[in-house]
Amino acid sequence: MASAPSPTPGGYSVTPTEPLVRHTAGRAVVRPPLPVKLVIAGGFGVGKTTAVGAISEIEPLTTEAAITEVAAGVDDLSHTPRKTTTTVAMDFGCITIDPTLKLYLFGTPGQERFGFMWDDIVEGAVGGLVIVDTRRLDDCYAAVDYFEHRRIPFAVAVNAFDGHVEHSLEEVRWALDVSEGVPVLVFDARERGSVRDALLVVLEQALARTEG
Amino acid sequence: MADGRTPRGAGEDGVVPVGPAPAVRPFLVTAGRVAGAGEAASGRPMPVETQLVATATGLDELDRLSFEQHDIVAACRVPQSIAEIAARLRLHLNVVRVLAEDLRAAGQLSVHVPDSGVTHDASVLRRLIDGLRAIPDSRGVLRDSD
Repeated sequence: MASAPSPTPGGYSVTPTEPLVRHTAGRAVVRPPLPVKLVIAGGFGVGKTTAVGAISEIEPLTTEAAITEVAAGVDDLSHTPRKTTTTVAMDFGCITIDPTLKLYLFGTPGQERFGFMWDDIVEGAVGGLVIVDTRRLDDCYAAVDYFEHRRIPFAVAVNAFDGHVEHSLEEVRWALDVSEGVPVLVFDARERGSVRDALLVVLEQALARTEG
Repeated sequence: MADGRTPRGAGEDGVVPVGPAPAVRPFLVTAGRVAGAGEAASGRPMPVETQLVATATGLDELDRLSFEQHDIVAACRVPQSIAEIAARLRLHLNVVRVLAEDLRAAGQLSVHVPDSGVTHDASVLRRLIDGLRAIPDSRGVLRDSD
């Protein structure tokens, strides 16, 4: 990852690499922080929002992202005059590290058919945390596959509902078939310190990747 | 979720407000456009964490802006991500993307798309790690003050 563009002190590129990255006519009244995104994935009810809420400095916000379902599996849109639009809820929160740096945590629905929105949400993320309920391991396969396929650094966090886990971490690792380098850990989505430590594992993964 | 911390309208537990999607109405405010000019050119939408900040021009002209445009510029006196604006103003993400591009073209809003080369830089990751480590275990009394 040696060829990062030369950054400005605030971390935004001055020389645009694509049309979106350009400065506007007006000048911002305040300089914004550099936003860094981390994705929290997993099946419904697995504790994504609870984890975000445990550590976010704001109450988790929900935004409804409109997704075009046809885009998930059909390549040629020209033959599809009527596209189906679905709305999915995405919960997120944030942590201000300092005035120049802010970490955003986005919880994404885990279903496979939301693949299209995942690209939208995950684009540019530094890493991912896949939350697992050992009673419903199936729910997280899509997320694990997605992160592995997209080569996004991630860790698997087993949410210890009521303080215990039904399967050992080795069993979970075996069942999910995650590669050796992917950390699998137990955490409690309700505890700030526990969520913090899980996020740290993800960031350490990301850092190790850059230092390759 | 017995700790009462599950927020209203959350997407957990399958209670997703899906229903029949309002496929047309949200995009009335964008005159039917579902992608801004920038997206059309680059093929990629602005990341959801893209920061929006009002410009002095935007604040000067606030009274002349209508509805959503007004609300976005007003809310962006403090830097906000696209996702935050969408959530707080109850707009679809893509509506915010389109309107943000319009407001930027008019010089009323500054749009800061993060450079992924920078956000993935080791020095940034180290600052995040150090910052996170400083967060205490317990929520303490901070919850009520933020």
